Amino acid sequence: MLQMRNINKRFKTSFVQTYALQDFSLHVREGEFVTVTGPSGCGKTTFLNIAGLLETFDSGAYLLDGQDVSHLSDFERAKLRNQKIGFIFQSFNLMPDLDLFDNVDVPLRYRGLGASARKEKIEKALDAVGLLARKNHLPSQLSGGQQQRVAIARALVGEPRFLLADEPTGNLDSNTAAGVMELLQEINDAGTTIIMVTHDDSLASRSARNVHILDGCLQSDVENIAPAIAG
Amino acid sequence: MFLYYIRLSMLSYKRNPVLSSLMVLAVAVGVGAFMVMFTLNYVMGGDPIPQSSDQLFHIQLDYGDPADPASQPPPQLTYRDATALLNAPFPYPRVATSKFQGVVEPENTELNPFYIDGRGSTADFFKMFDVPFAFGTGWDSVADENQQQVLVLSEALNLKLFGGENSVGRVVNLAGKSFRVIGVLENWQPAPKFYDVNNGGFSRTEEAYIPWSLIAGQRLQRAGNTSCWAPRTDNSYEAFLDSECAWVQFWVELSTREEKQAYTDYLAQYVAQERAYGRMQIPQDKRLYNVREWLVKQEVQPDETRILTALAAMLLAVCLLNTVGLLLAKFLGKASEIGVRQALGAHKGALLTQHIVEAGFLGLMGGVLGLGVSTLGLKGAKLLMGEQMNIEWMQLDPAMIVVTVALAILSSIAAGIYPTWRACSISPATHLKIQ
Repeated sequence: MLQMRNINKRFKTSFVQTYALQDFSLHVREGEFVTVTGPSGCGKTTFLNIAGLLETFDSGAYLLDGQDVSHLSDFERAKLRNQKIGFIFQSFNLMPDLDLFDNVDVPLRYRGLGASARKEKIEKALDAVGLLARKNHLPSQLSGGQQQRVAIARALVGEPRFLLADEPTGNLDSNTAAGVMELLQEINDAGTTIIMVTHDDSLASRSARNVHILDGCLQSDVENIAPAIAG
Repeated sequence: MFLYYIRLSMLSYKRNPVLSSLMVLAVAVGVGAFMVMFTLNYVMGGDPIPQSSDQLFHIQLDYGDPADPASQPPPQLTYRDATALLNAPFPYPRVATSKFQGVVEPENTELNPFYIDGRGSTADFFKMFDVPFAFGTGWDSVADENQQQVLVLSEALNLKLFGGENSVGRVVNLAGKSFRVIGVLENWQPAPKFYDVNNGGFSRTEEAYIPWSLIAGQRLQRAGNTSCWAPRTDNSYEAFLDSECAWVQFWVELSTREEKQAYTDYLAQYVAQERAYGRMQIPQDKRLYNVREWLVKQEVQPDETRILTALAAMLLAVCLLNTVGLLLAKFLGKASEIGVRQALGAHKGALLTQHIVEAGFLGLMGGVLGLGVSTLGLKGAKLLMGEQMNIEWMQLDPAMIVVTVALAILSSIAAGIYPTWRACSISPATHLKIQ
């Protein structure tokens, strides 16, 4: 599903060069739920951005769904993101002046679907997260947990095979976070591969597979035998 | 997607109403000011009779004082030359015309007598210059030859004297004589007033028209310019008519190249003949000018309008630079949204299009507001130019409205290219984490 081999990524300024990822290799199989942990600045988000084709890398190889993405154009990368990858962010990243329906509509707009097909998919996605009744509300009229559910609906509306979540519960209280995790678990159970960056060690220890990054290197890759969050 | 982008542009306007309004205002002021000057330039430099401007020729002959090396030929003809050219053996339509002034004594005793500017013309004037009639017609060559007391009224004078009704057959007392009305014009204000630019290219057309032969025949009070370069034999009216004083505008209609060549040859022959009598001692290379050539030669379009247009273009450039800055601030402020859209599948081309449409949308609003600015500017210009001028042309016609809005949209799109490119070039990853 996702295969990275010896990925290197460094950030350069005039004075300093920092390795965000160094000889980073990882293979994620279809249907897995992988948590990624590590201290701040260790390279978790850089890994997620490269995995989500939002950032390029300096060397190494990256196969997504069997396709080498190293030399894709901006247009091809955008198309892959749109069709195969869903994103969930810590701060939800909903567009404040679009209502829920239009927020969820965004990825479908770039897929070129007709209005009726889009409407059907949007309502299905909002229904799946329990917010169809509020489709005409603005994000500011929702709680944090509800906003994250909308973000999940937006990530899933295009039926991606691959969901990338960057600390999706980081801005939520524990009860709400638990609800979001349940939702993610249901999505994973339905067959969507999930990679989730988290600072929450308890979530990591309960996941089927935990990858720990330190200083841009893969430090550990542990599969739990009896996970609370199954893969 | 275009309608989707328009909708996003409207939402973006609502999100930053102050910044967006400043941009619209900057575009409106720049485009509005430019269009005021452009309209003035466009009309002043325009063709007042496009359907036949290349077939109507103004005649200028080899006049001037040979003792004065700086002597330039005046734009008009002497009475004797105008008469000779009228009688030349050609079938081509031709017009001798000049201004006069006279007092009108209205039938309506509630109106006091008043001065008007009139025009004496030979019969072809109305047909050659496509003068539109509301009632009746002009006169024929017989009326010219017989000095018939007939008159064509302007729309305004007909309104003043007869309440705007069909006054054909009525009598007007002008310059102490009775004239029978045979025609009433529709509103006719060519801009520039090409057939006589001696008193300004944008002066108003005359209020009454009579056969040209009446000016000399009845010794009407002439108006307009008179240029003399040789002394008269005496102070009599006959001596004036026979003098080297030019006061008649002369036009001829030549429809083909062959006709023009024949007439050019005729003029050369005529000048050579007159030169043999000691006249026309300052040779001219060109004696026939079509309408556009004549307007250029007479410098009808003042240099000031060109300079002001250039200044207005600079103001537009400053406003657009200001817009570039404001758009940059606005689009960079949307960098996080751009990042999210990229993450959700928007490629750079789609984002560039979205933001170019947004810039164009702001330009459209600026263009609409700019139309208001232009209209106000043209009203101000009319006030400055006063009522003596023909200022009816000073307005935005449909073509100018389209040009104004199109200019605003294109300018805004041009101003939006750099901010759009900058905003869409930022790595999306930069903004997704820190929002």
